[in-house]
Amino acid sequence: MKIVFRLVLLVVLIAAGLWLWTILFPGPEKIIRKRLAQTAAEASFRSGENPLVSAARAETLAGFFSTNVEININVPELGRHNFAGRDEIMQAAAGAHSAVKSLKVELADMNITVGPDKLSAVADVAVKVQVVGEKDFDVQEMKFTFQKIGGDWLITRVETVRTLS
Amino acid sequence: MFGRNPKVTLLRAAVWAAVCVVIFKILLVHVRVDGISMLPTCPDQSIYWVNRLAYVWHAPQRGDVVALRFVPADDSISRLEPPHVMLLKRIIGLPGETVSFVNGRALINGEILDEPYEKLDCNWNCAPVTLGPGQYYVVGDNRSMPPENHTHGKCERNRIVGKARL
Repeated sequence: MKIVFRLVLLVVLIAAGLWLWTILFPGPEKIIRKRLAQTAAEASFRSGENPLVSAARAETLAGFFSTNVEININVPELGRHNFAGRDEIMQAAAGAHSAVKSLKVELADMNITVGPDKLSAVADVAVKVQVVGEKDFDVQEMKFTFQKIGGDWLITRVETVRTLS
Repeated sequence: MFGRNPKVTLLRAAVWAAVCVVIFKILLVHVRVDGISMLPTCPDQSIYWVNRLAYVWHAPQRGDVVALRFVPADDSISRLEPPHVMLLKRIIGLPGETVSFVNGRALINGEILDEPYEKLDCNWNCAPVTLGPGQYYVVGDNRSMPPENHTHGKCERNRIVGKARL
């Protein structure tokens, strides 16, 4: 009985150790998932948000992207929009704040493929955008390309994907 | 309260809970329709169950209403976890067939497809598309909007989550 107890304790300790390891040293996929969730959170905003807070959030959002980021949006309802660089992202964020009172951005079904070099990754994601209070929402499949730059995973390219060809 | 043998009662409850989780979280997925692309078959905000076992023993059939993954899956994604966002469409083209639309009628290999479920006016004209192995042509029942505003086209087999129970 004592041996069984010790074995169970050993298994529990090993499992706890492995769990702690993943918390302390998360893999690229986990970091990218967290980064995407942060991006969605910073892209969302509520009505009546203080302009200073909005500006700070736009700056935080831009910081998740590389300096030479390219964003290509092409959806039937909105048409084609291209942004390049962090400044244009901040301008787009400011434009969104003035166009709608509030916005909720959610990401679902993330499919992340980390490159063999562990320095690049591609994330296919379903992006759900909803103006808070409205029933209708838009869902768009998008592809995010990441690169590890200066030890940080930054978004270098964002493009819309046509779901059915 | 717990019967004559509480341990057996507890075991029964645990088994039932496990069965419910497997059935209602893994095998059957409930979907809420958001949009009008499947009118009049599936009205906006209606709820359906998707049977994920429907295509285990046979391939998807023409006319089936299926739920499709919005984001394609690969081996790294757990196959047990159902996707959160799906498209609900009807299969009209099977692997190897050529699908086109002429004056609002769907043609399969040049022959008009009988579609009793399509009730709304359609005037689509779309160039022929030939499906490869493992590819299906899916489209909504409501084709009253321009084709460019309606998500339709070729879909790989691995995108099909299951068959909707209407």
